[in-house]
Amino acid sequence: MSRFFRGGDESSSDSSSDEEELYSEEEEEQKQKGQEGSQDDSDDDSQNDSDSDSDDSDDGKAGINKFLKDASSDEESEDEVRGKVKSAKDKRLDELEATIKQIENGQKNGDWTLISAESDKLNRQVAKLTSGKTPKPYIRILAELEDFMNEALAKAKVTPKKMNATQARALNAVKQKIKKTNKEFQTQIDSYRADKDAYMESSDDEPVPVAPKTKKTARFEVEAAPALEDDDEGFATVGKGGKALQYTPESIFKHLRGIMESRGKKNTDRTEQIKVMEKLYEIATTPYQKIRVLLTIVSARFDLGAGTGNVMPLEHWKAAEKELSSLLEVLQENREYIVVEHAEEWDDDEKPPSLQAGETYIKVAGSIVSYVERLDDELVRSLQSIDPHTSEYIERLQDEGALYNIIFRGLLYYETLRKDEALETPQDSVNRIVMRRLEHVYFKPAQVVKTFEENCWKAVGDAVESVITPRSQAQDAGNLVNVLCNYLFSNSEGIIRARAMLCQVYFLALHGEYYRARDMMLMSHLQENIPNFDVQSQILYNRTLVQVGLCAFRKGLVYDAQNTLQEICGSGRQKELLAQGVMMQRYNQVSPEQERLEKQRQLPFHMHINLELLECVYLTCSMLLEIPLLAQTGSSPDVKKRVISKTYRRMLEYHERQIFTGPPENTRDHVMQASKALAAGEWKKSTTFIHSIKIWDLMPNAEEIKTMLSKQIQEEGLRTYLFTYAPFYDTLAIETLSGMFELDITKVSAVVSKMISHEELAASLDQVTLTVIFRKGVELSRLQSLALALSDKASALIETNERTLEQRTQGTSNAFERQGGRGRGGHRGRGGGRGGPRGGGNTQRQAGGTQFTGGALGAAVRG
Amino acid sequence: MEEVLTGVSADGSSIMPKMAPHLSRHLLFPLIQFEEQKAEESGDDAMARQILSGKIKLLEDTNMTDYVATLYCEFHGVADPPAEYIKKRQEVLSQLEKYEQATAKIADLLTQDEVVNGLRSDKVANLEFLKNSHGVTVEMVDALYDFGQFQFRCGQYEPAAEMLYQFRVLSTDNDKVSGATWGKLASEILQTNWESAVDELKNVKENIDTKLFNNPRAQLDHRTMLVHWSLFPLFNFEGAREPILDMFFSAAYINTIQTSCPWILRYLIAAVITGRTRARNSSLQQKQMKDVIRYVRQEAYEYTDPITQFVNALYIAHDFEAAREALHLAEQVCRSDFFLASSADAFVEAARHLICESYCKIFSRMNIRDLSSKLGLNPDDGEKWIVNLIRETRLDAKIDSQDGTVVMNHPPNNVYQQVIEKTKGGFFRTQVLNAAVSK
Repeated sequence: MSRFFRGGDESSSDSSSDEEELYSEEEEEQKQKGQEGSQDDSDDDSQNDSDSDSDDSDDGKAGINKFLKDASSDEESEDEVRGKVKSAKDKRLDELEATIKQIENGQKNGDWTLISAESDKLNRQVAKLTSGKTPKPYIRILAELEDFMNEALAKAKVTPKKMNATQARALNAVKQKIKKTNKEFQTQIDSYRADKDAYMESSDDEPVPVAPKTKKTARFEVEAAPALEDDDEGFATVGKGGKALQYTPESIFKHLRGIMESRGKKNTDRTEQIKVMEKLYEIATTPYQKIRVLLTIVSARFDLGAGTGNVMPLEHWKAAEKELSSLLEVLQENREYIVVEHAEEWDDDEKPPSLQAGETYIKVAGSIVSYVERLDDELVRSLQSIDPHTSEYIERLQDEGALYNIIFRGLLYYETLRKDEALETPQDSVNRIVMRRLEHVYFKPAQVVKTFEENCWKAVGDAVESVITPRSQAQDAGNLVNVLCNYLFSNSEGIIRARAMLCQVYFLALHGEYYRARDMMLMSHLQENIPNFDVQSQILYNRTLVQVGLCAFRKGLVYDAQNTLQEICGSGRQKELLAQGVMMQRYNQVSPEQERLEKQRQLPFHMHINLELLECVYLTCSMLLEIPLLAQTGSSPDVKKRVISKTYRRMLEYHERQIFTGPPENTRDHVMQASKALAAGEWKKSTTFIHSIKIWDLMPNAEEIKTMLSKQIQEEGLRTYLFTYAPFYDTLAIETLSGMFELDITKVSAVVSKMISHEELAASLDQVTLTVIFRKGVELSRLQSLALALSDKASALIETNERTLEQRTQGTSNAFERQGGRGRGGHRGRGGGRGGPRGGGNTQRQAGGTQFTGGALGAAVRG
Repeated sequence: MEEVLTGVSADGSSIMPKMAPHLSRHLLFPLIQFEEQKAEESGDDAMARQILSGKIKLLEDTNMTDYVATLYCEFHGVADPPAEYIKKRQEVLSQLEKYEQATAKIADLLTQDEVVNGLRSDKVANLEFLKNSHGVTVEMVDALYDFGQFQFRCGQYEPAAEMLYQFRVLSTDNDKVSGATWGKLASEILQTNWESAVDELKNVKENIDTKLFNNPRAQLDHRTMLVHWSLFPLFNFEGAREPILDMFFSAAYINTIQTSCPWILRYLIAAVITGRTRARNSSLQQKQMKDVIRYVRQEAYEYTDPITQFVNALYIAHDFEAAREALHLAEQVCRSDFFLASSADAFVEAARHLICESYCKIFSRMNIRDLSSKLGLNPDDGEKWIVNLIRETRLDAKIDSQDGTVVMNHPPNNVYQQVIEKTKGGFFRTQVLNAAVSK
C-alpha cells in the first residue's frame, strides 16, 4: 500500500531511467514474493495491526526515519494498554518486521538513505533479541539486501550517470555494514540461499516455542534497564509505564553524565536523549540544575544538525532558541551563577557546587557565544536549503527576530561578565558576539533595524542598560552600526576589525552616504590585503564594493559607479563573487568537496543583491561612458584605443552583428538598443529604452533616478553628436544644439567649452553669433599621426632606459642627479639634487624639454 | 572662547573655528585681533566686546598677566584689575626670577666665545665637554627648556627663541628637542622673523618624517598643525612661498590636507593663483594649478567656499557666469580673512587673468562688454584691461572697436611643431645615458 505513495514521493530525486530499472526489479521481486507468498502469510497477519499504525504515521513524515521510532513506541504503549496481548519478544519481532518492510520499500525505490538508516535500526533490534535465535526474516532481508546492493553497484559502474551525493554515500555505508553483518550470519544466509522456501518454512515453527520462554527474561530486561544504564529504549518504556520516579532532581546529574558520555558515539539516539532531557528540565529545581540541563540539551540539539549535509530540524531549532533564552533568563536572575569557557568541570554528581568562601561566582563550563553563533549558523543553513520563493522561507525568516533577541541578550550577558575584572572574560568572545549583532544589522534598511531593536529592548525590560550600545544610541540604525563598529575598531583586530569596517561601509552605502562610504573604503586599505583574508570576508568585500558602486549610481556619479563596479561585473562571475549562486563550471570539473564548500558559503536569499539590477546599472553606466568615447575614437582612428568596459564592448559588438533585432526583451537588450540610439544621436529614443527597463522600480526613488539618467543621456548624447558630426560642419549654432537636445543654452555652451578646453574638440566659440566654429585642417594625415606616435614611443623608450639604469645602479651613480634639478620642474630636486658635477647642463636644458617629467631622480625623490 | 569662534563664523565665511584647534594660543591671537579690528571698523560694538572677552579668556592661561589685566580693565571699564591678576603677576615674576637663576650659569657660559668655539656638532661630546670643563649638568640644560617655554608663555618671544635654540644645541632628549623646535617656530613666527621661521619649518617637517614614521596618527596630527602654522610665513614672506607650496603639494601633505583639513585648500588656491605672475616657472605654476583643480574636484563634497567655487566654476563646470559671481564673493572672503586680506587685490587681479585666459582659449570672438562684465569691470576699464593683457601676454588677438569685439586667432596646433617638441630632449638624454652606461 505504501509502495505507491513512496514511489511518488521519491520520483523527484530519482531520474526516470532509474525508475524504469526499478520497475523491472519490482517485477522480479513480486515474482519472488509470489514464491514466498505462502510463508509470508502468517507473518503478514501478525504484522498487520502494527503496520497499519506505523504506516499511517509514516505517511506524513515520509522518509524521515527518525520519527518511525516514535511512532512505533506509541503503538507499543497502546498495545500494552490493550492488555498485554503480546509479549515483549513479540513486540520486538513486530518492530523487526516493520523495519524489514521499510527496507523492502527502500529497495523498490532505490532509496539508499532509507535502507541505510533502516538497516542500522534493524541491526540494533536484532542485537536486542540475542536471547533467541536470529529471526528468519532478518536473515532473509540480509540476503536480499546483499543481492540488491551488488546489483546496484554493478549498475552504477555501467551507467555513467551519477547517483546523487547522499544516495551514493548511503550506498557505501550499507555496503560496509552488510559486509560486516553478513559475515556473522554467513551460514544461515547460505542455508537460506540454498533453499529459500524450506528455510522460511522452518522458521515459522521455531520462534513460537521460543517466545514464551524468553518472555520472562525480556521482561526482566525491560525493568532492569532503566535503573542500570541509559538505554533510551528502556527510558521510553518506563516513562510510559508510569515509573517516572526515576527522574528525581537528585539523579539529574547522573543522567546528564550518561548522556554526555554517550555523546558523539555511534548508535546513540539523540532525539530520545533530548526527550529525556526535556523531562529533566521540567523537574529541575535549582538554578544550577537548570543551567546544567539547558547547556546539555542545547548542545544535544545542535548535534542533531551536525554533519555537513543535513539541516537542523525546525522544531529543534525553535526549541533550542527557547532554551537558550531561558538559559539567559536563569543566568540573569541568578547572578551568582555564571557560564564561562574556562571553568572547571564539576565531577561530583551527588551534590551541586556551592558558593565557596571568598568567591563570588559559581562557574559552570560552557560558552554562550558559541551557542549563539551556532544558532545563527543553523538558521543560515536552514535558509540556504529552503526555496526562497516559498512562504516557508518567509516564515523561517521571521525567526531571525528571535535570534537577534538572543544575540542581544547574549551581548548583555557578556557585558555583565565584563564588568567584573576578576573574571577575565576574553575580549574575543565579546567581539564575536558584537560582530554577530552587526552582521544581522548591516545589510538591512534602517526601518527594519529599528523594529528589531525595539523588540529587543522591550523584551529585556526597562531596567536594563547596555554599556556597548546604550539604549539611546541603539534606536537609530545608523547610530547603532556606528557604535558597534567603533567598539570593534578599538577592541578587535585582524579579520573581525576588517569585517566591521566592511559592514559599516556597506551600511553607509546602502543608506546613500556615498562619500563617507568611499572614504572609509579607501582608508581601510583593504583592497591591498583582501586577498589574504578568508573567503567569507572576500565575499563581504565584494558585496560592499558593489553596494558602494550602486550608491554612486544613485547619486548620479556615473563614472565612479562604473569604476567601482568594473571589477566585479566586468569579470562575468558576479554570482560566484557575491556568493549568490554557483557558477556553471564548463571546463574544469569541480570536485564534490569544492562544490559542497561553495554551496555552504552561499548567502541566504534575503541578503542577496539583485544581480539583474546590478547588471543593468553597470551596463547603463558603461553605455554613458563608452558611447561618447567610441564616437570620439571613431572619428580619429589614431587616438589610442581605450576601452573602459570589455564586457560592454563585447555585448555591443554581438548586438551589432545581429541582422534582425527584435524589440528588446531583457535588460541587456534594452541597454544595447539604447546605446545604438545614443550613438546615432537619437537621445530621446535612447531615454525611452532606458526608462522602459522595469527593474529600476526596485531602486528607492526610481523616478529621480530616471530623471538623472535622462539628464545624463542628454549630455552624453550632445557630446556624442559633436564627436560624430563635427567633421561635417563648419559652424553650428548653439541654439540649434540646444533645441536638438532640449538643454539650456548655458548648459550647451558649458559642455562645448569643456570639450574645447580639454582639447577633445577642435573648435572655438563665437560669442557674438553664439556659434561653434570648427577648425579645419586639424585632421592629421596618416604619415603625420604615425610620426607623432613614433615620437611618443621614442620618448617612452628613453624614459624606460633611464629608469632601468637607475634601478641597476641604485643610488651608486650620480649621473642622474642633474635631472632632479629639472625633472620635476626644479622644485623637488632642490632638496635632494645637490648640484652634481653636471649641474651646468641644467639651465640649458630647462629651456628645451617640455614634458620631461619622469626623470630618474624624480623617482628617487618621490621614493 | 567658543562663543567668540561661533560668533565670528556666524556669517559662515570665516573658517577660524576650524583652524583654531590646530593653532597655539599665541598664534591664534593675531587672528582674533584681526577679527576685532574688523568688528571695530564695521562699528559692530557688541561683536567687538564679545571678541574682547574671548581674548581675555584666550590669554588667561598664559603668563602675559599685564596685558590681560589691561584688557580686563578695558573690558569692564575699571581702572584697576582685580587682585587675582596682581597675585598672578607676582607669581609669574617670582617664577621668572627662579628660572633666571637656574639658567644663569649656562646662559653666561654660552655667551663666552671660547666655550662656544669649543662646541662641535656632536651633542653628546658637547655635553661631556661642558660637564668636564664647566660643570654643566643635564638639569641645567633642561632648565633652559623650561625657561624658554616660560618666556614664550610670557609673550617674550625673542628670548624664548634664543633659549630654545641653545637648548636644542645641547640637549639629547629627542622629545624635548622636537618640542623646542615647535616652540622656536612659533616664536619666530610671532616675531615675524620669516626667514628663520622657514628654516624651523623645515626642521619640524624633518622631525615629523623621521621621528614619527611608525605612528601614522601622530604624524597626521603634527602635519596638520604644521600646515596651519606655515600659513603665517606663506602669506607674509615672499621667500617662503616656494618651499611651503612645495611642501603642501608633496604627497604626504596634500594627503594631510585632504584628510584632516580641507579648508586649507582655500589658502592653497589663493597662493597658487596669486603666485601666477610671480612664479618664475610658468610650467610649474600650471602644474600646481592643475593639481589644485583636481583636489578641489575631489574635495568638493566635503568643503566648498567661494574660492573653491570659483575654481570649480572656471575649470570644472566651465560656467563663466558662475565664475564671475564666485569671484565677487571670493573677493569679500579674501578681504575678511586674516591671511588673505593683504593679497586680496592680487588675488582678484590674477583670477581675472585666469578667467580671461580660459575665455580666450575657448572663444574665438567675444564681445568686450560681455567680457568686461564677466571680469567684473565696466566696459571702458575692461577694454583697457584687455589691451594691457594682450600687450603683456602677447596673445594673438585684435580688438575690433567698431563691433566692440575681441577677435582671437587660434593658431592650429602645428603637427610638425608637436613632433619637434616631443623629440627635442631625446638626443641629449640619450647622450647622458650613454655616458652613464660607459662609465
